[in-house]
Amino acid sequence: MPLPQTTHIVIRNDVAQLAAVTSAMERVGAEHGVPEKSLFQLQISLDEMVSNVIKYAWPEGGAHDIEIRITAWHDRVEVEIIDDGQMFDPRKAPKRDKPLPGQRPQLGGVGVQMTMHLVDTIDYARIGNHNHTTLTKLCAVSPAVSGREKI
Amino acid sequence: MNKTALRMENSHAGAVCILSIGGRIDSGNAAELLDRLNGLLSSGEKTILLDLKEVLYLTSAAFRVLLVATDEAERNAARVVLCGLAGQVRELFEMGGLLDAFTVHGSREDALARL
Repeated sequence: MPLPQTTHIVIRNDVAQLAAVTSAMERVGAEHGVPEKSLFQLQISLDEMVSNVIKYAWPEGGAHDIEIRITAWHDRVEVEIIDDGQMFDPRKAPKRDKPLPGQRPQLGGVGVQMTMHLVDTIDYARIGNHNHTTLTKLCAVSPAVSGREKI
Repeated sequence: MNKTALRMENSHAGAVCILSIGGRIDSGNAAELLDRLNGLLSSGEKTILLDLKEVLYLTSAAFRVLLVATDEAERNAARVVLCGLAGQVRELFEMGGLLDAFTVHGSREDALARL
Protein backbone atom coordinates (compact mmCIF):
# COMPACT_ATOMS: atom_id res chain seq x y z
CA MET A 1 0.00 0.00 0.00
CA PRO A 2 1.47 3.40 -0.94
CA LEU A 3 2.54 5.87 1.70
CA PRO A 4 1.39 7.90 3.49
CA GLN A 5 -0.76 5.45 5.38
CA THR A 6 -2.78 6.46 8.43
CA THR A 7 -3.91 4.31 11.34
CA HIS A 8 -6.70 5.82 13.35
CA ILE A 9 -7.72 4.93 16.90
CA VAL A 10 -10.11 6.47 19.43
CA ILE A 11 -9.85 5.71 23.15
CA ARG A 12 -11.61 6.89 26.28
CA ASN A 13 -9.75 9.01 28.84
CA ASP A 14 -8.89 5.94 30.90
CA VAL A 15 -5.32 4.83 31.53
CA ALA A 16 -6.39 1.21 30.99
CA GLN A 17 -7.01 2.06 27.33
CA LEU A 18 -3.41 3.11 26.71
CA ALA A 19 -2.56 -0.51 25.90
CA ALA A 20 -4.68 -0.19 22.74
CA VAL A 21 -2.60 2.82 21.67
CA THR A 22 0.66 0.92 22.33
CA SER A 23 -0.61 -2.02 20.26
CA ALA A 24 -1.65 0.25 17.37
CA MET A 25 1.81 1.84 17.33
CA GLU A 26 3.44 -1.60 17.46
CA ARG A 27 1.41 -2.71 14.45
CA VAL A 28 2.41 0.37 12.46
CA GLY A 29 6.06 -0.18 13.42
CA ALA A 30 5.97 -3.83 12.34
CA GLU A 31 4.10 -3.17 9.10
CA HIS A 32 6.47 -0.45 7.99
CA GLY A 33 9.75 -1.77 9.36
CA VAL A 34 10.23 1.25 11.62
CA PRO A 35 13.67 0.88 13.28
CA GLU A 36 13.29 -0.47 16.81
CA LYS A 37 14.91 2.49 18.55
CA SER A 38 12.68 4.96 16.70
CA LEU A 39 9.63 2.84 17.47
CA PHE A 40 10.45 2.75 21.19
CA GLN A 41 11.02 6.52 21.19
CA LEU A 42 7.62 6.98 19.55
CA GLN A 43 6.00 4.63 22.08
CA ILE A 44 7.47 6.54 25.01
CA SER A 45 6.44 9.92 23.57
CA LEU A 46 2.93 8.72 22.77
CA ASP A 47 2.53 7.25 26.27
CA GLU A 48 3.74 10.50 27.87
CA MET A 49 1.51 12.80 25.83
CA VAL A 50 -1.65 10.67 25.95
CA SER A 51 -1.31 9.95 29.67
CA ASN A 52 -0.90 13.72 30.22
CA VAL A 53 -4.16 14.29 28.35
CA ILE A 54 -5.89 11.60 30.42
CA LYS A 55 -4.62 13.08 33.70
CA TYR A 56 -4.95 16.81 33.09
CA ALA A 57 -7.16 17.71 30.12
CA TRP A 58 -10.49 17.48 31.93
CA PRO A 59 -10.25 18.72 35.52
CA GLU A 60 -14.04 18.38 35.80
CA GLY A 61 -13.77 14.64 35.02
CA GLY A 62 -16.29 12.71 32.96
CA ALA A 63 -15.84 10.39 30.00
CA HIS A 64 -14.15 11.87 26.93
CA ASP A 65 -12.67 10.59 23.69
CA ILE A 66 -9.05 10.97 22.61
CA GLU A 67 -8.31 10.46 18.94
CA ILE A 68 -4.91 9.30 17.76
CA ARG A 69 -3.79 9.26 14.11
CA ILE A 70 -0.51 7.57 13.28
CA THR A 71 0.73 8.34 9.77
CA ALA A 72 3.67 6.55 8.17
CA TRP A 73 5.48 8.68 5.57
CA HIS A 74 8.57 7.61 3.62
CA ASP A 75 10.94 9.40 5.94
CA ARG A 76 8.99 9.89 9.14
CA VAL A 77 6.16 8.82 11.42
CA GLU A 78 3.69 11.46 12.55
CA VAL A 79 1.41 10.99 15.52
CA GLU A 80 -1.47 13.40 16.00
CA ILE A 81 -3.31 13.43 19.33
CA ILE A 82 -6.67 15.20 19.37
CA ASP A 83 -8.70 15.96 22.50
CA ASP A 84 -11.40 18.44 23.51
CA GLY A 85 -9.87 19.15 26.92
CA GLN A 86 -8.53 22.44 28.22
CA MET A 87 -5.97 24.16 26.04
CA PHE A 88 -2.45 22.84 26.52
CA ASP A 89 0.47 23.64 24.25
CA PRO A 90 3.27 21.25 25.25
CA ARG A 91 5.85 23.50 23.57
CA LYS A 92 5.06 26.13 26.19
CA ALA A 93 5.12 23.79 29.18
CA PRO A 94 7.20 25.29 32.01
CA LYS A 95 10.76 24.01 32.29
CA ARG A 96 11.45 21.76 35.25
CA ASP A 97 13.68 23.03 38.02
CA LYS A 98 16.61 20.88 39.03
CA PRO A 99 16.01 19.50 42.52
CA LEU A 100 18.20 20.96 45.25
CA PRO A 101 20.78 18.56 46.67
CA GLY A 102 19.12 16.09 49.00
CA GLN A 103 15.66 16.95 47.69
CA ARG A 104 13.38 14.43 45.99
CA PRO A 105 12.92 15.31 42.31
CA GLN A 106 9.43 16.39 41.28
CA LEU A 107 8.07 14.55 38.28
CA GLY A 108 5.75 17.27 36.93
CA GLY A 109 6.81 18.05 33.36
CA VAL A 110 9.25 15.16 33.04
CA GLY A 111 7.14 13.44 30.36
CA VAL A 112 7.04 16.52 28.14
CA GLN A 113 10.76 17.08 28.69
CA MET A 114 11.55 13.51 27.62
CA THR A 115 9.24 13.76 24.61
CA MET A 116 11.07 16.88 23.42
CA HIS A 117 14.29 14.86 23.43
CA LEU A 118 12.79 11.77 21.81
CA VAL A 119 10.98 13.16 18.77
CA ASP A 120 12.19 15.58 16.12
CA THR A 121 9.36 18.09 16.37
CA ILE A 122 6.29 18.76 18.47
CA ASP A 123 3.60 20.86 16.79
CA TYR A 124 0.48 22.16 18.39
CA ALA A 125 -2.72 23.83 17.19
CA ARG A 126 -5.96 24.72 18.94
CA ILE A 127 -8.67 24.15 16.35
CA GLY A 128 -12.19 24.97 17.52
CA ASN A 129 -12.31 23.55 21.01
CA HIS A 130 -9.77 20.79 20.32
CA ASN A 131 -6.08 20.40 21.06
CA HIS A 132 -4.13 18.93 18.13
CA THR A 133 -0.67 17.85 19.24
CA THR A 134 1.53 16.37 16.52
CA LEU A 135 4.76 14.49 17.20
CA THR A 136 7.11 13.84 14.29
CA LYS A 137 9.90 11.28 14.33
CA LEU A 138 12.25 11.17 11.34
CA CYS A 139 13.16 7.57 10.48
CA ALA A 140 13.29 5.12 7.60
CA VAL A 141 9.83 3.80 6.78
CA SER A 142 9.07 1.15 4.18
CA PRO A 143 5.78 1.05 2.25
CA ALA A 144 5.55 -2.65 3.01
CA VAL A 145 4.04 -5.54 3.86
CA SER A 146 2.15 -6.49 6.91
CA GLY A 147 3.45 -9.32 9.02
CA ARG A 148 7.11 -8.60 8.29
CA GLU A 149 9.01 -8.52 11.60
CA LYS A 150 6.14 -9.25 13.95
CA ILE A 151 6.70 -7.87 17.43
CA MET B 1 3.25 -13.20 24.28
CA ASN B 2 4.47 -9.97 22.83
CA LYS B 3 8.17 -9.29 23.35
CA THR B 4 7.62 -5.84 24.83
CA ALA B 5 5.16 -7.06 27.51
CA LEU B 6 6.29 -6.42 31.09
CA ARG B 7 8.01 -9.43 32.68
CA MET B 8 8.96 -9.65 36.36
CA GLU B 9 10.74 -12.43 38.16
CA ASN B 10 12.16 -12.46 41.66
CA SER B 11 14.92 -14.55 43.18
CA HIS B 12 17.27 -14.32 46.15
CA ALA B 13 21.02 -13.97 46.57
CA GLY B 14 21.60 -14.27 50.30
CA ALA B 15 19.54 -11.56 51.96
CA VAL B 16 19.11 -9.61 48.73
CA CYS B 17 15.85 -9.98 46.86
CA ILE B 18 16.50 -9.56 43.14
CA LEU B 19 13.60 -8.47 40.96
CA SER B 20 14.47 -8.85 37.27
CA ILE B 21 12.39 -6.77 34.93
CA GLY B 22 12.03 -7.20 31.18
CA GLY B 23 10.01 -5.64 28.39
CA ARG B 24 8.51 -2.18 28.66
CA ILE B 25 7.37 -0.17 31.68
CA ASP B 26 4.72 2.40 30.76
CA SER B 27 1.53 4.04 32.03
CA GLY B 28 -0.45 0.93 31.16
CA ASN B 29 1.53 -1.50 33.32
CA ALA B 30 3.47 0.57 35.89
CA ALA B 31 0.88 -0.28 38.56
CA GLU B 32 1.81 -3.98 38.23
CA LEU B 33 5.42 -3.13 39.06
CA LEU B 34 4.36 -1.02 42.03
CA ASP B 35 2.15 -3.85 43.32
CA ARG B 36 5.03 -6.30 43.04
CA LEU B 37 7.46 -3.98 44.85
CA ASN B 38 4.95 -3.18 47.59
CA GLY B 39 4.28 -6.90 48.00
CA LEU B 40 7.98 -7.62 48.46
CA LEU B 41 8.34 -4.78 50.97
CA SER B 42 5.31 -5.84 52.96
CA SER B 43 6.54 -9.42 53.05
CA GLY B 44 9.58 -8.08 54.91
CA GLU B 45 12.26 -7.83 52.21
CA LYS B 46 14.88 -5.31 53.34
CA THR B 47 17.08 -5.05 50.26
CA ILE B 48 15.47 -5.18 46.84
CA LEU B 49 17.77 -5.11 43.84
CA LEU B 50 15.87 -4.15 40.72
CA ASP B 51 17.72 -5.47 37.68
CA LEU B 52 16.62 -3.47 34.63
CA LYS B 53 18.98 -5.16 32.17
CA GLU B 54 16.19 -6.66 30.06
CA VAL B 55 14.04 -3.53 29.99
CA LEU B 56 13.45 -2.33 26.42
CA TYR B 57 12.14 1.09 27.30
CA LEU B 58 10.37 2.93 30.09
CA THR B 59 8.30 6.07 30.52
CA SER B 60 8.00 8.57 33.36
CA ALA B 61 5.35 6.26 34.85
CA ALA B 62 8.26 3.98 35.77
CA PHE B 63 10.10 6.84 37.48
CA ARG B 64 6.97 7.60 39.50
CA VAL B 65 6.75 3.95 40.65
CA LEU B 66 10.45 3.86 41.56
CA LEU B 67 10.20 7.06 43.60
CA VAL B 68 7.08 5.83 45.41
CA ALA B 69 8.71 2.44 46.11
CA THR B 70 11.93 4.09 47.33
CA ASP B 71 9.91 6.18 49.80
CA GLU B 72 7.91 3.16 50.91
CA ALA B 73 11.14 1.22 51.43
CA GLU B 74 12.52 4.01 53.63
CA ARG B 75 9.41 3.88 55.79
CA ASN B 76 10.03 0.14 56.24
CA ALA B 77 13.75 0.56 57.01
CA ALA B 78 14.42 -1.14 53.69
CA ARG B 79 15.99 -0.04 50.42
CA VAL B 80 15.42 -0.34 46.69
CA VAL B 81 18.58 -0.33 44.58
CA LEU B 82 18.88 -0.39 40.79
CA CYS B 83 21.29 -2.14 38.45
CA GLY B 84 21.61 -3.12 34.80
CA LEU B 85 20.78 0.30 33.34
CA ALA B 86 22.19 0.06 29.84
CA GLY B 87 21.98 1.97 26.58
CA GLN B 88 18.62 3.55 25.94
CA VAL B 89 17.31 2.89 29.46
CA ARG B 90 20.22 4.76 31.04
CA GLU B 91 19.70 7.59 28.52
CA LEU B 92 16.06 7.82 29.57
CA PHE B 93 17.04 8.18 33.24
CA GLU B 94 19.48 10.92 32.22
CA MET B 95 16.87 12.61 30.04
CA GLY B 96 14.44 12.69 32.92
CA GLY B 97 17.19 14.07 35.19
CA LEU B 98 16.61 11.11 37.50
CA LEU B 99 19.85 9.19 37.52
CA ASP B 100 20.88 10.88 40.77
CA ALA B 101 17.54 10.21 42.44
CA PHE B 102 18.27 6.50 42.95
CA THR B 103 21.06 4.27 44.16
CA VAL B 104 22.39 2.79 40.91
CA HIS B 105 25.02 0.08 40.50
CA GLY B 106 26.50 -1.24 37.23
CA SER B 107 25.85 -4.94 36.69
CA ARG B 108 24.00 -7.31 38.99
CA GLU B 109 27.37 -8.75 40.06
CA ASP B 110 28.68 -5.26 40.92
CA ALA B 111 25.57 -4.58 42.94
CA LEU B 112 25.67 -7.88 44.85
CA ALA B 113 29.33 -7.31 45.70
CA ARG B 114 28.40 -4.03 47.35
CA LEU B 115 25.16 -4.95 49.10
